[in-house]
Amino acid sequence: MTKSGLAIVGIAEVPTRRDPERQRWDILLDVCMGAIRDAGIDKNLIGAVISNNPMAQPSMQNDMSLGKIPEVMGLKGCRDIAICNAGGASTTNCLRLAEQHIASGQVDYVLIPHTTVQSDMPPQDLINFFATAPLDKQFEYPYGVSFNGSMGLITQRYMYETGATEEELASVTVALRAWGALDPLSIFYGKTVTLDDVMNSRMISTPLKAKECNLLADGGGAMVVTSWEKARELGDKAVYKLGHGTRFMSATPMLREDVFHRQAYRESSRDALSQAGLSIHDMDLRQIYGAYPYTQCSALEGYGVCEDGQGAKLWAEGRCGPGGDLPCTTMGDATGRGHTGSGVSMAFYLDSVRQLRGEAGDRQVDQCEHAILTTSGGSVMNTCTTVFGRKPR
Amino acid sequence: MSDYKKPLPEIQPYSQPFWDGTKKGLLLIQHCNACDANIFYPRRDCPDCWSQDLGWIKASGRATVYTYSVTYEGVEQKFVEDLPIILAWIDLPEGIRMHTNLVECQPEDVAIGMEVEVVFRSITEDITLPFFRPV
Repeated sequence: MTKSGLAIVGIAEVPTRRDPERQRWDILLDVCMGAIRDAGIDKNLIGAVISNNPMAQPSMQNDMSLGKIPEVMGLKGCRDIAICNAGGASTTNCLRLAEQHIASGQVDYVLIPHTTVQSDMPPQDLINFFATAPLDKQFEYPYGVSFNGSMGLITQRYMYETGATEEELASVTVALRAWGALDPLSIFYGKTVTLDDVMNSRMISTPLKAKECNLLADGGGAMVVTSWEKARELGDKAVYKLGHGTRFMSATPMLREDVFHRQAYRESSRDALSQAGLSIHDMDLRQIYGAYPYTQCSALEGYGVCEDGQGAKLWAEGRCGPGGDLPCTTMGDATGRGHTGSGVSMAFYLDSVRQLRGEAGDRQVDQCEHAILTTSGGSVMNTCTTVFGRKPR
Repeated sequence: MSDYKKPLPEIQPYSQPFWDGTKKGLLLIQHCNACDANIFYPRRDCPDCWSQDLGWIKASGRATVYTYSVTYEGVEQKFVEDLPIILAWIDLPEGIRMHTNLVECQPEDVAIGMEVEVVFRSITEDITLPFFRPV
């Protein structure tokens, strides 16, 4: 029996921006139509719409959960509709649900969309959302913790345990912004930063400085997925899901024994790579969605790219940024692209597809055959790791 | 009527004894009488064995700083007057980790591993929050 699986065959994304004039539904329709056109299929072949839940966007959330997308777009072949919410990792769950539909043989193509606009929301409301949604409202929130503060606590401990310096961690942001500066879809397109720029930016929550914290922005993206068999018919644009693994740690940061999620990165990547029949050293690209610089280091340690505690050194040596021998997170992460809520994970998948197709422009990784990608939701409650390849195995 | 504007803890029925304790100057930790686990934060059922035979033990009030972060900006307006805020996770000898603020000290005095002790501050008639200060 031939092995089968999921393939991504169509993608579309709007540039990450802060532009309250750009409406949520305009973004949504542009990316949905764009992804279907990119796949080169008839819209009525879409058998299900599995949406990424837009965080802090209640009206849009209702529209997307309750069937407006296939109705508005006239997707006459649509049989099912659902929304997945696992915070920042939602796109991963959309893919798993889509895979189940496709494996059933009853649906050939699934549309997975995301849209978020945060620029029309008061900054105080956004701080409140990120301080209450993923943190404990009884034992954390009354103490004046923000999301940045929570991640500052973990970063401080990471430095203490590994000996990583503030400069080494700042080099992560320099590299992520260097990727973003080369990417027309990044809010920081054309805007690099130096180590001094990061080190001299305002202190937010020690040791995190302003340029290491996320700029909340607007964006949207969509993909069309299908089976390996159908994907082969569509030719070179398909990218194949080869393996997958996940681990959950805790909802509340202070309760996390695996505080840097290193073990969760280790175990989820081991599961994904073993399913793919590949090793971490076969990966041409590592894409890590952690939204804060220490995750870019602890993930490399968990993946087994380097020893525990050595991740920040790889970034400081310039090995993970443009021109490095271990390209990581060409998507820029939220730090280098702008944080679009649950859309960051969507953008990570889309960027991985571009890299594997050879369509990543100035950021293109040479000979990109395999990529490993980890998304996380909430306060990094989980690690969802997927291996993609240019060819099915 | 209290003029306290900052968020109050969202108390659950099974965590009420914790907050009754802080009002009396006691730091109480939920304890499972069936499997002997110390539980934080308080739950309805023991997360280890699902027993509902849960009681409370009195913590020593001493702790060690596991990590800290000094926040200078980026908080909700209602916390701005408190800046800088020293956030900390502290490890209790009872085997639990709590989130708190370090008080009665300056940011430059704080270090991972330092010994701290609980200090109670009444913020409303009903609520007393536990903070920690250097020993």
